[in-house]
Amino acid sequence: MRWNTLFRWAVTLLVGSAATGTWTVIPAAQEIENPFTTRVDIRLGQRVFGQRCSRCHGQDAKGNDETGAPDLTTGRFSNARSPTGLFRVIREGIGGTAMLPISPDTPDATVWQLVSYLESQSADPMDIDLPGTASAGLGVYNGKGNCGSCHMLDGKGGRQGPNLSRVGERRDPSELKAALIDPHVEVAPRWWTMRVTRQDGSVVEGFRMGEDTFTLRVIDRDLNLWSFHKSDIRSFDRNEDSTMPNYAETLTASEVDDLVAYLFSLRKES
Amino acid sequence: MKRLVILVLVFASWSMVHSQDESGTTSTTPPAFSPVTWERLINAADEPENWLMYSGTLDSQRFSRLNQIDAQNVGNLKLKWSYQISQIDRSESVPLVVNGIMFITEAPSNVVAVDAATGRQFWRYNHDLPDDLRICCGRNNRGVAILGETLFMSTLDAHLVGIDARTGNLLWDSEVANHKAGYSKTAAPLIVKDKVVTGIAGGEYGIRGFLDAYNAETGALHWRTHTIPGPDNPDVRTWSGESWRTGGSASWITGAYDPDLDLVYWGTGNPGPDWNGDVRLGDNLYSDSVLALDGDSGEMSWYFQFTPHDVHDWDAIQVPILADIEFNGEIRKVMMWANRNAFYYTLDRETGEFLVGKPYAKQTWAEGLDENGRPIRVPNTTPTYEGVVVSPSIGGATNWWSPAYSPDTGLFYVNAFDGEQKFFMRDENYEEGEQFTGGGGENVKPNEAYFSAIRALDPKTGDLRWEFPIQPRSTAGILTTAGNLVFSGSVDGYFYALDATTGEELWHISLGAQVHSAPMTYAVDGQQYVTIAAGNVVFTFSLEE
Repeated sequence: MRWNTLFRWAVTLLVGSAATGTWTVIPAAQEIENPFTTRVDIRLGQRVFGQRCSRCHGQDAKGNDETGAPDLTTGRFSNARSPTGLFRVIREGIGGTAMLPISPDTPDATVWQLVSYLESQSADPMDIDLPGTASAGLGVYNGKGNCGSCHMLDGKGGRQGPNLSRVGERRDPSELKAALIDPHVEVAPRWWTMRVTRQDGSVVEGFRMGEDTFTLRVIDRDLNLWSFHKSDIRSFDRNEDSTMPNYAETLTASEVDDLVAYLFSLRKES
Repeated sequence: MKRLVILVLVFASWSMVHSQDESGTTSTTPPAFSPVTWERLINAADEPENWLMYSGTLDSQRFSRLNQIDAQNVGNLKLKWSYQISQIDRSESVPLVVNGIMFITEAPSNVVAVDAATGRQFWRYNHDLPDDLRICCGRNNRGVAILGETLFMSTLDAHLVGIDARTGNLLWDSEVANHKAGYSKTAAPLIVKDKVVTGIAGGEYGIRGFLDAYNAETGALHWRTHTIPGPDNPDVRTWSGESWRTGGSASWITGAYDPDLDLVYWGTGNPGPDWNGDVRLGDNLYSDSVLALDGDSGEMSWYFQFTPHDVHDWDAIQVPILADIEFNGEIRKVMMWANRNAFYYTLDRETGEFLVGKPYAKQTWAEGLDENGRPIRVPNTTPTYEGVVVSPSIGGATNWWSPAYSPDTGLFYVNAFDGEQKFFMRDENYEEGEQFTGGGGENVKPNEAYFSAIRALDPKTGDLRWEFPIQPRSTAGILTTAGNLVFSGSVDGYFYALDATTGEELWHISLGAQVHSAPMTYAVDGQQYVTIAAGNVVFTFSLEE
């Protein structure tokens, strides 16, 4: 069970309050089961999300760099550990941020429907039927895929790609599969490569750890960390392609499925 | 008892007049602060040691005649002081400075007075806010206005307050609109003679926008001009059905004023719902427009609509810049405007005549402008249920952050973003006090994948003279000075100075937090300072004394 600690008496109280259009302040230590979790509730929650939340969090709930609103589809929320926590954040807002409380006359039922919609946006591994098997995927990871040569997992492995510890919490199976067989489509800026030509003509090439208006930070293939002022170098080039091999060329379809199943299983033990 | 009070007052007065410095001699330094008359505001450019209004001067050029800091010595700027705003946020405040006193607004709706040379506090005013605010985009306040000894501030609960500039005491508190219906206020007011002109926010809540003028002494409403025509105006036909009632067209940034023409210039925001134009067919006047209003009556002299029937949330919420420039052999009174829709415009500000229009940033929605400045739309760029990718982004090619104009270089400076967005349409019913946007947007790529720059444009042609690349982008305003400098900031936390003629970088410092405000400059005791807010800290720099 993903969320726990149920208080049936509280549900009764909650439904009662929703019916009367009033709203409830849930004491901090108290967890309540979401009474509004049907498909219809999720759809109604989606509608409310579009109307009241999408301006900052995006139509797809994946966040927005400009507003600073976080991605709400990762299954992890910075300020909530449970449905009740989400309810509380929506109801009360987050102090000192642009996350304001939902308008006070919003019924509890609507807030719970929003919670249901947000939960539906992050994949519950228990609900997903994958074609591959994680145990076979582990073999591909360590064998033919040789993933550990570039990626770190639980403190072991390479540093030429994203840390895959708990990658199953950040990516759903379709995203994982796309990264394996079509790696150039969506590359995070951290994994773009930079080719820096210094004034003496020497070249430093590596991953883009940071870039701003005036400076660049790069980690090269030998894991050296470099920092440059743009005004001190002759030029720099940016390559937004991935350095990841395309596994559609080296793995069979079933091996890719197994690897996806394994990667998706990499999540914090609950 | 009465005699004792009088004695204390007399002693206090004597002490203030006869204060002595450490050497024991009577100080000749005048006390800080002096009342700000309308004459001073008209001639604000003549006292560059003060920053008397949001945009510095009534023409909003954000140009200062101070030149102690110049292109040769700007590299020697040092931090003089910093002031920490207690509310963690990204400050959008532009402080005022009046004879050595700086007035800084803080989120959500507070103001502090500090010594402009040290950053140490004289007083603060905290506005009581209800807990049911309706605000789309953060707990912001962008600054105050001043007339006489009174400061004027917008508050998030859609009030306008008058505050004693010497003590911070509340003088009056006027409700401008009902915050429960989605109205709020974030922008600095503008003084026009003895009136406080102020706009309204709430374009995402189906409000009906307006611009107001209040009596500065009493806080009483003097005139109100709606930014959407009502049934008594034939222009209401530019809204299908009853859609004018909930059409937005907010007025949430500060305008400009021409004392000779007695015209107030103010931009208006998007029509509502933002992304579903099917429910408000027509041009949707006077959304996404600049309005020219009579200073005494608020009566409309002319309007120019930049984006008829906008469906991308491209508010014309930019600060109008006024200047008299040579144009085809004659001096014209013009207005310069780099719009959120990615086109730059030069208009005749006496008549509203369209003179120049040209893209200054990436755009894919218009083939160009016709001879009247009306956009010629590219088909299939309106939002759909499935989403359509269009440039510029929802945030726009620029937004509310102030541009600047230097009469020395003749260049107009703007922060530009060559972005894009996937725009969606959604069916939505209006409910009072709830968001009414009719759609939304999704990011296509991370911000780092797009190009952003400070661009210097020639207002006579709209041509690009130079650009300074920003990575990843900027949401800061711009200041230009007689020291041939352009100052601005960026979301990567830098504050920097460029050569105003060439765009060459001359100085920068990492302030460690997003710069989302606009720099300003002033002087105290002959020392020039430059101030910018980054994150929730206000930083002030000067040369070594």
